[in-house]
Amino acid sequence: MLFKTIKKQDFFDVFLPDTQCIGPKKVGTNTNGKPIYQFLPFSSFDEIDLDYDTTEYSAKTYFLPYKETLSSFSFKDNDWTQEIKYRTRPRVIIGLHPCDINGLIKLDKVFEKTLFPNPYYITRRQNTFVVGIDCKEPCDGGFCSSVGANTVTHGFDLFLTDIGDRYFVKIGSDRAFNALQKIKTSEITKKDNEIYLQIRNKFEGSFEKTVHVENLPNLLDIEFESDVWRKWGEKCLSCGACAMVCPTCYCYGVTEHISMDFNKSDKIKQLYSCNLNDFAQVAGGHNFRPEPATRLKYRYYHQHRGFVESFGQPMCVGCNRCGRVCLAGINPTDVISDLQREQKR
Amino acid sequence: MKYLGIEPQKPKIAVFDFTGCEGCQLQLLNKEETLADFLSAVEIVCFREASSLCSDDYDIAIVEGAVSRNDEVKRLEKIRETAKVVVALGSCACFGGVNRLKNEFDLKAANKEVYGKDPKETINVRPVKDIIPVDIEIPGCPVSKAEVESLICHVVWDSPFQLPVYPVCVECKQRFTTCLFDIGQMCLGPITRAGCNAPCPAGGIGCWGCRGPAVEPNYKSFFAIVKEKGFSDIELKERLNFFGAFGEVNVS
Amino acid sequence: MKKIMQSYDIRHETDMVEPLDFNRRSRLKDVDRCFKAEITNVIRLTDMEKLFQIRMVNDKDWERFTFLPGQFVMLELPGYGEIPISFSSSPSIRSTIELCIRKAGKVTQALHKAKRGAIVGLRGPFGTYFPMEPMKGNNILLIAGGLGLAPLRAPISFVIENRADFKEVHILYGAKDPSQLLFDYQYEEWHRIDDINLEVIVEQPDKSWIGPVGLITKLLDDIQITPDETYAIVCGPPIMFKFVCKRLSEMGVPMQRMFVSLERRMHCGVGKCCRCNIGSTYTCLDGPVFDFWTVMNLKEAI
Repeated sequence: MLFKTIKKQDFFDVFLPDTQCIGPKKVGTNTNGKPIYQFLPFSSFDEIDLDYDTTEYSAKTYFLPYKETLSSFSFKDNDWTQEIKYRTRPRVIIGLHPCDINGLIKLDKVFEKTLFPNPYYITRRQNTFVVGIDCKEPCDGGFCSSVGANTVTHGFDLFLTDIGDRYFVKIGSDRAFNALQKIKTSEITKKDNEIYLQIRNKFEGSFEKTVHVENLPNLLDIEFESDVWRKWGEKCLSCGACAMVCPTCYCYGVTEHISMDFNKSDKIKQLYSCNLNDFAQVAGGHNFRPEPATRLKYRYYHQHRGFVESFGQPMCVGCNRCGRVCLAGINPTDVISDLQREQKR
Repeated sequence: MKYLGIEPQKPKIAVFDFTGCEGCQLQLLNKEETLADFLSAVEIVCFREASSLCSDDYDIAIVEGAVSRNDEVKRLEKIRETAKVVVALGSCACFGGVNRLKNEFDLKAANKEVYGKDPKETINVRPVKDIIPVDIEIPGCPVSKAEVESLICHVVWDSPFQLPVYPVCVECKQRFTTCLFDIGQMCLGPITRAGCNAPCPAGGIGCWGCRGPAVEPNYKSFFAIVKEKGFSDIELKERLNFFGAFGEVNVS
Repeated sequence: MKKIMQSYDIRHETDMVEPLDFNRRSRLKDVDRCFKAEITNVIRLTDMEKLFQIRMVNDKDWERFTFLPGQFVMLELPGYGEIPISFSSSPSIRSTIELCIRKAGKVTQALHKAKRGAIVGLRGPFGTYFPMEPMKGNNILLIAGGLGLAPLRAPISFVIENRADFKEVHILYGAKDPSQLLFDYQYEEWHRIDDINLEVIVEQPDKSWIGPVGLITKLLDDIQITPDETYAIVCGPPIMFKFVCKRLSEMGVPMQRMFVSLERRMHCGVGKCCRCNIGSTYTCLDGPVFDFWTVMNLKEAI
């Protein structure tokens, strides 16, 4: 990996204005007086705040939109033709934290490095320039260090760490290397390395929450009938908010819509959530997971067992967005430690 | 489009208004870009807002509004006898709607309050399904035109017509709305059926539940959350009763 | 003005312009492209099920299209939706493929109205298959309950075509009542084939029924097998194959030699949408054909 340092004000020269830029924007303040951030398009660097703690939503929607048209059918004389378009525009996303980039790496495994690569995802991923940045301190309830998602080594174009008046920059792609040719950068000195490592060590040491996930695949099998699921299931609103904000949840549904002139039909994909009532319902009405508890359990099962089985690591990146968004207060830390307590009893 | 060897139907549609604001009927005529196609896909034989003609020969009756007088009961029964398919359009037709608030008061006193010395004949407000069997319900105040169009495709082509089973939260999240509970407001989104594309929360107004309950909402957990967030039973009840869509739900 | 991002179009990737193979494994391809196919015949089986004979419109596509017994296709009805359907015909028949479809949901309802000549879309074939080759040289039990005969008909055809490769062949089929029996016009043919044992049983006989009455497991009472030399393929509702496989297990057949086909709703067929997941196993990628040992270890499978 190549490293450089860049003066902060120099850095921003690279991007604007010809490419669409997305970054963490403050959109409001919650009842506790804390700012709420979202990844949104911006046109001036004054609009974003790279010192943000966490965003309400993950950045996955720029790679897996909530709704997209997979293909369109045009009807004519009892026949039809199918049109498939990979709609895409080049984009720069600035300010992704390691959890979000790790989320993208996991999505790459599902959509790119897999039996059936998905062109819709790949087009967006290839056309997005990802600039990551290290967190300054752990966010509320975040447990990324427990799932190994607090650092990244790939999956980005540039990755920044704030070292005072400069950024310590990791260069992750040739297009990033080329982009940096256009501005003033400095080589890394021994001193820079020291400062960088010092900052990182301080950060690693500041996590309060720890979730032990190593034994989870086994534990989830053993505790399949556990009362813990009923307890949390009774609280679950089955509203799907957790999956919508999650950086890695990718389940979806496909529906078809005939246009009003009856000449066309669109096949539309919509991100779904395994917590929603009819997720596992089949033709004829049978529902394989009719209770909120079984659906909630399935979500954990997929994240911490199924994904491990397929890819050797959990799907969860420990960002705790699901925990913060859940009105019923269901969060992975509590659910998992409840399960582990059950085991010890 | 002629497809699968199926001949399209051009159903005769009649639109009837009962107690309500006629906003849902107006919604039928909304969305100019597809309006011409919409009107030519079906044969409208009775629709006061679009044409003065009216015939008794129709396949599909779209009923807007709730029932609040005895003569409306008779009219509905007549419609049911004629129509093959009865569609309840909007929250008033589906649940009674805002009109149903009248049921909270003494009927005589309410009549006097509104009409003074010249009282009108009136009964408790009831949704259409309380009087006659309803085949399809499209809730909403007003209804969404997209769902009306989906209904038309359904009657012409027998294509799937299904309301979302999930709550409004999904649609809020899909348009980046900050949860209204986070900014100190009440919202019925977590128990209300989606399909409206959550315009109210996006505009900063908590959901009032005009589309009625989602499939199997978790009332118990939701009411506990509302109380924990510091809202009173009265505030909650007021919201649940507003469109009459949640029936006799026990909030405690 | 410094442009750092050039638009990158994956359609220029060499993989994307090569001719498509049907199941598009590990290649960057148009995953959503449907192959046009024509319904050439519609055969009414019962009040609820019809058999659709389908062939690709484009002869070049058709030449390259092959499948194995137990696999499924995604059948697209533009405007209505897409559903997974297991093949009901022999892979060796090169004139058409046959799909037996019950009127159960919204897509199948529309399909049941379709006439000969209608153009539908196909994606596939996808999924695992019954391992017919390793089964050769052994006895084989082909057991179906209800609609299970639809996917079972593919391996039945294979076994009949390759009769010499198998020892004893038993076809056992059970249904609720005689009116629900699928492919009843074929029993006579299967009966007449020398050395194939076909037994059909119903739970609720009508007046004209002369065959055995009871549950499918009853048919197993009269069958003597050498467990070490026997494979079984069991298709039907979960409750049925659970009892049948339990019974076979008692008879000594190893669970890894019993194969079942599971059914789930699928929206993609290629391991993305997660709708068909059982526990966390994709029915579309790791199934629909599983051996019974795997099914026993899947949470929520039965």
